[in-house]
Amino acid sequence: MIKRTTKVTNRLGLHARPAALLVTTATKFESQFFISKDSIRVNGKSIMGVMMLAAEMGTELTLEVDGPDEIEAMAEIVKIIESGFGETS
Amino acid sequence: MKTVDRHKVIRGKPIAGGIVLGTSRVVLPGETQVTEVAVPNAALAAEIKSLELAVKETVSELDDLRESAIKKMGGPAAKIFEAQLMIAQDEEFLGQVKKDIKSKKLNAAFIYNEHIKRATAPLKKSADSYIRQMALDIEAVASRIISHLSGKTRKNHIIPPNTVLIGKSFTPGEILSYRRQKVIGFVVAEGGPDSHMGLIARALYLPVVISKDLNLSKLQSGQAIILDAIEGKVILAPTPEEISDYQQRRKRMGPALITRIKHLKDIPPKTRDGVEIPVAGNMTLPGPAEEIMAEKNIPIGLYRSEFLYLAGGTFPDEDTQFEHYEQVARKFAGSSVVIRTFDLGYDKMSADEAWPHEENPALGWRGIRPMLEMKSLFKDQIRAILRASSRKNLKILLPMISDISEYDQAKRLIAQVKFELKKKRLQFDENIPIGIMVEVPSTVLIADSLFPKVDFLSIGTNDLTQYILAADRKNAKVAGLYSPFHPAVLRMIKMTVDKAKIYGKPVSVCGEMAGDILALPFFIGLKIDLLSMSPNRIVDLCRTVKKIDSSLVQPLVHSVLASSSTSSVIKRLESFKNAIGSRRQKGNHFE
Repeated sequence: MIKRTTKVTNRLGLHARPAALLVTTATKFESQFFISKDSIRVNGKSIMGVMMLAAEMGTELTLEVDGPDEIEAMAEIVKIIESGFGETS
Repeated sequence: MKTVDRHKVIRGKPIAGGIVLGTSRVVLPGETQVTEVAVPNAALAAEIKSLELAVKETVSELDDLRESAIKKMGGPAAKIFEAQLMIAQDEEFLGQVKKDIKSKKLNAAFIYNEHIKRATAPLKKSADSYIRQMALDIEAVASRIISHLSGKTRKNHIIPPNTVLIGKSFTPGEILSYRRQKVIGFVVAEGGPDSHMGLIARALYLPVVISKDLNLSKLQSGQAIILDAIEGKVILAPTPEEISDYQQRRKRMGPALITRIKHLKDIPPKTRDGVEIPVAGNMTLPGPAEEIMAEKNIPIGLYRSEFLYLAGGTFPDEDTQFEHYEQVARKFAGSSVVIRTFDLGYDKMSADEAWPHEENPALGWRGIRPMLEMKSLFKDQIRAILRASSRKNLKILLPMISDISEYDQAKRLIAQVKFELKKKRLQFDENIPIGIMVEVPSTVLIADSLFPKVDFLSIGTNDLTQYILAADRKNAKVAGLYSPFHPAVLRMIKMTVDKAKIYGKPVSVCGEMAGDILALPFFIGLKIDLLSMSPNRIVDLCRTVKKIDSSLVQPLVHSVLASSSTSSVIKRLESFKNAIGSRRQKGNHFE
């Protein structure tokens, strides 16, 4: 199980588009994936779960990945989040 | 017991025009309350199965809508349905709902609804409009699933051709989906011309009449119906005379708009003495009219970008906007598109609770004003427009400018965006023309300092008339005072054009008056550079241009400018109109 913290850097936060991108990325992998914001912990493979976080810009998130491909999965998930989900500003 | 067809006339207001004859179908409102119902042990498995079936049906509907949206309105519109598809299919969420159904032994609709409420609660509280929008998408999906679960009404029975639907109201998604099932018109009890439903219906050229006293329980399905969305009349079980009368009217209306535009020759049209009068279209939502205009290289003189807000319920993000602008820029690669930045406020906001309530919306936070306060949203839009501008066929138009400082601020923000894009080495039109709407009288009176700064001007006669005459044309008590043919309005238009010519700036007219045949000789006489109008005015206007000799309009222009009353202006314009005979051009073309 790998745990990491990261921050939401894109200005519009985790709205529909990045949420969908995050979930699509995470579901590629076998490992389980959970995201926590403060005291809320959601399944990162569930679009409803990720949306519910209502994570605005600057929000700190704790990522947990657990499974056979956890190293790959965490790397790609972190990359997607820290690159601002490809949003150009 | 056999019910007798009873002749019935319902009066209402047309929201989108046209006349159709068809068969009625009444759509009763679905269950709005989701009631809690205990489910016996033996039936729990079946309850879970019905949830799965409802999800399957919803997914299939959304998939169809997405494909239809791609075909009719382009990729970006389809994104709404893509997001909703992901929500509908969320396995984790459904798993939790199913677990709850089994443990609480309650019906699927109730449990599903409770989970949805819990999911949307944190979203609705967010100060961020993009995050609030997610709640709307989730609720849209939920209402489909719940209505499939309740199974009573809104079932997709096979709708016979030529159906006119009668219901309380319809969402844009429903209009689109019913149109695919070949529904030809709608009668509703709620909504207005600027509602989302109204916008989409107009863009698809579907007639809609709204009648506030509609009593659905007293109406029947399967009756012959005439929907007159020109006058605002609905006739159920019409008499043979009424039927034949309307069939005649339909015949006289002639072939469909798209066909008529398709057959237009000579664009731009030329007057009898060979003067070109440039003509463009106003656009709200991409649809069949825009397709044909793009084909004929008729430019877009006014792209009302706020439909993106109104159709989605909140500000679309930059990438969604970029896809829309890029698509329209690509379609109109042979001509040009003037994109007006979001013009919200006044009557275009009633649905959004986040918008401040104002005592005096017409004189309030509208046009450029909210955008200059919500700077990052304004810059998002500018960025999206610039990213789509590499063909150099886009222009930016700023609405409701009343003072130089507003223009300067907007220009500064635009310059900041250009700088950001340059740093990222993104391609865009560095010299994209930036123009202003002339609709607030102050703009005209400070022309000497303002006009030299802008690249072009667009006269918005609708609001200009309202502000000059202090009369709201939507207010029945004073609507009679509103007329763009009031001498004050004509004089202000003349002042604008004079100043524009002095400073060498192209000036166009984009209000309703641009498409008004009566005003045409006046505009020709003033040498307006472009007339931009609703697509359904283009053909008749082009025809009329050909009948006018531009060297003969000056006396008319002088006389209307010297008039002291609206009625004498109209009288003079009408006698000019009646005087221009119908002359056949060489080659027998009559367009």
